[in-house]
Amino acid sequence: MTVAAPQQVIALSRRSVQSIVRQPSVVVPSMVFPLFFVALGTSSFARAISIPGFPVVDSFLDFALAGSIVQGVLFGSITSATALATDIETGFFDRLLLTPSPRVGILVGRLAGAMAYGLAQTIFFVLVLFPFGLSIKSGIVGLTAMVIGGLLTALAVGAVMSAMALRTGSSEAVQGSFPLLFVLLFFSSAFFPRQTMDGIYRQIANLNPVSYLVEGFRSLTIGELTTVAVAQTMLIPAAIAVGGLALSLRSLRRRVAAA
Amino acid sequence: MTTPQRGLEQPIIAEGLERVFGSGERAVRAVDGVDLSVERGEIFGFLGPNGAGKSTTVRMLTTLLRPTGGTARVAGFDVVKESDAVRRSIGVALQDAAIDPLMTGAELLHLQAILYGLPRGEHTQRVGDLLERVGLSAAGDRRVGTYSGGMRRRLDLALALIHEPTVLFLDEPTTGLDPMSRMALWDEIRRLNDDGTTVLLTTQYLEEADQLADRVAIIDHGRIVSRGRPADLKAGVGAPTLFIVVDPAQVESASAVLTAFGELRPTAEGTLGVGLVDGAAGVSAVVRALDDAGVQVQNLELKAPSLDDVFAEATGHRLEGAS
Repeated sequence: MTVAAPQQVIALSRRSVQSIVRQPSVVVPSMVFPLFFVALGTSSFARAISIPGFPVVDSFLDFALAGSIVQGVLFGSITSATALATDIETGFFDRLLLTPSPRVGILVGRLAGAMAYGLAQTIFFVLVLFPFGLSIKSGIVGLTAMVIGGLLTALAVGAVMSAMALRTGSSEAVQGSFPLLFVLLFFSSAFFPRQTMDGIYRQIANLNPVSYLVEGFRSLTIGELTTVAVAQTMLIPAAIAVGGLALSLRSLRRRVAAA
Repeated sequence: MTTPQRGLEQPIIAEGLERVFGSGERAVRAVDGVDLSVERGEIFGFLGPNGAGKSTTVRMLTTLLRPTGGTARVAGFDVVKESDAVRRSIGVALQDAAIDPLMTGAELLHLQAILYGLPRGEHTQRVGDLLERVGLSAAGDRRVGTYSGGMRRRLDLALALIHEPTVLFLDEPTTGLDPMSRMALWDEIRRLNDDGTTVLLTTQYLEEADQLADRVAIIDHGRIVSRGRPADLKAGVGAPTLFIVVDPAQVESASAVLTAFGELRPTAEGTLGVGLVDGAAGVSAVVRALDDAGVQVQNLELKAPSLDDVFAEATGHRLEGAS
């Protein structure tokens, strides 16, 4: 597969973003639900920050931001992969294959769209929560790292989910992974720190990569700027993205070759 | 004098084209040794019932599906080894290729222009021209989700024409359209052909093939069973067909009477058909003979030879949904 021309990837990315923005029913869950969880947590668990083992934070809001970013991006990336599967189901994928445009552009366009949406989500969550007292301890550099981390997380999840979309060609199968992502999210440190967990729940959270993904964002929100925190925020999603991209490119080759 | 390139004189050539889905006992031979040769500048009709192998053949010729046997060249290029070159040369409107309902007609055309690598400065002009050509100028900025079936098909055609292809594949372009929309699309296909575009058109509508195609190939169960100019094929059938509807209990006795007047022909269930050697002049004799045999005729219709008769003669059954 040859490298797609930039203008073709840009055009396909624009279509990908447009398809998200033009469906409010798709935007709302990935933009509003995470904020709803933050609002719920902040009002219900405000005193939880005093529990022994809870990280030192100014407010539960600061603690909750990381979980909301990862939750939003996870759900947003499902949207993008679902759209790819829908393209296959409806035959729009064939329409794209009929053009002389390189095949990889179809995948790259979708992923670029998912990244743009992940970037917008991260910025949106931070901007909405600032007036309610959110503070980013690592400053503007840390915030920039978080935004890049959001973008890379979208790429990582989008690539894995796109592999599923290309492999199955079924939007139902992609959407069927939603509960799995929910389980991954709840059995992680997205909503509570691992230090306050116990038993099997803690063991699962210790093994769950989502915990480490969330904690990268969290350490930049509630702690000082450190190289380790920046690396954790960007390298974990980058590593998942590399694996996801390999998987999705393989799935794309198989789908095109199967024809 | 130089010999014209094979691809230019015969933009579509297939030899022994095959496609098998699955393997072993469950293998399905969807296309079974199809030979095609489409001349430059003609409209070639590919006629057959649902599931006959029309769309599978088109998918192979347009590089969407890899043949499992045989070879094909389109616009002079091998569909497997030079698939990119084939894609640059052809325009395709597929029956089952959806149009994104969230995009506007103009946005889709712009996207198509970019994917075909058209010079950026030409996009707006080309998109405007095509929208005008297919009568969608006023609807160009509306989302496709609001378009009627006919409007979608016209947009589909415009999308296939964005890069001014010399060979056009239209897969059942008028299926599901109302008669007015169908005729409007026929006019557009004729105009394109007048401009020099070679068209391969699949259809299950006999009238469509009859009206549009210079030559037709009739496919059934993956094999071409008949081919030629519609007029020649119909002339080959000879006698017109007399269709007769009788009481189901009297079908046998009616059949026995009809064999005296000509060869019995396959018909839809509940109807008898006979190739009436004497033509219209023989109808009254048939009616009298049936009456003498005590057969009550419920309906009777004499039809000049049609492509349906050609199909029936070649396959032993009528074309499903024939019109």
